[in-house]
Amino acid sequence: MARIRSYEDMNLQEMDVMKEISSIGTSHGATALSKFLGKEVRITIPEIQILTVEEAVKRLGDMEEIVAATLVQMSGEIRGLMLFVFKLDLANVVFEKLLGKEYQSFLEIDELAFSALQEVGNIIICSYINAFSHLVNVDVSLSVPSSTVNMLGGIMTVPVAEHGYETDRLMYINAEFILDGKRLSDGLLMLPDIESLNEIMEKLGVS
Amino acid sequence: MMEKELKVGIGDMKLTRGEGRIITYALGSCIGISFYDPFLRLGALLHIMLPEKGDMRDQNVFKYADSGIQETLRKLTAFGFVKRRAEIKIAGGAKMFEISGNANFGNIGQRNAVMVKKILAAEGLRIKREDIGGSCARTMSLNVATGDVLVKVFGRPELHL
Repeated sequence: MARIRSYEDMNLQEMDVMKEISSIGTSHGATALSKFLGKEVRITIPEIQILTVEEAVKRLGDMEEIVAATLVQMSGEIRGLMLFVFKLDLANVVFEKLLGKEYQSFLEIDELAFSALQEVGNIIICSYINAFSHLVNVDVSLSVPSSTVNMLGGIMTVPVAEHGYETDRLMYINAEFILDGKRLSDGLLMLPDIESLNEIMEKLGVS
Repeated sequence: MMEKELKVGIGDMKLTRGEGRIITYALGSCIGISFYDPFLRLGALLHIMLPEKGDMRDQNVFKYADSGIQETLRKLTAFGFVKRRAEIKIAGGAKMFEISGNANFGNIGQRNAVMVKKILAAEGLRIKREDIGGSCARTMSLNVATGDVLVKVFGRPELHL
């Protein structure tokens, strides 16, 4: 059996499995977001892409762009990181719904708005992982979420720096939320360590 | 005329001489190291991501503090760079996320800084100025005509090193 040694080693079948799992994970995320915001949230069918940091940054914006992000660490049977990146358009939908106001830039947001974002990021990640762990039949523990408002380039290097000696790629889940008919850009990244990725494939009988 | 600008990616290095600017964007836990010889107006900017190159087969020398600094110095020396005149400035090494209950998480920036300083010291190079740590990503650029290093951080005034 061919062991995966880095994300870019995954074959088509393995990528399909990840795509299928993500599709279920992100739709759970959308449902949770919808409940939280009290409005209909739809989600596009995700694609999974294995990207370098620079490529992932380009999907969302540019290196110096200021975004908000929530990060959760996975432990237990699957180890690694989950990262959710908000751009201002999605963040403003959250702010409008929960705080009744919008912001011109992330520079202006106060502590209350920041914790609202962290909550939403955490909800999306947790519901994704819940669906994921049921499907794969693994126990995954999640850390408390941690959030930041920072340059996109700096945020995207975090998982690669943490996993740096294993892989310099990111597993980017390309799904867009649709609210009020508008597509909103977000970035969801699932980054299991390589050993966990192999265990996922084994559990699912792939490879 | 547009000023010449060289962009340095992640795990990358560029050098140039005379005039222009070398820039690297959004250093998070990564560290930018600028090397400048004012006599030759020769400068280099290195963007490292991790402290040590563990796997000797890894082709990506500039990704690591140890191999990156050594390779940059080797290239600079070929252009006449003299260590005794060197102005070294470093920026980056931030902790982007704090996970409560896991103090070790996100310490890579700090480990990078320790390693960069250790290797520069071993090479007999003194750090002239630094802007290290904190929780914000930085964009760093070196003006090769003057040796000035500019650090941009969101929500803070620009800093000249």
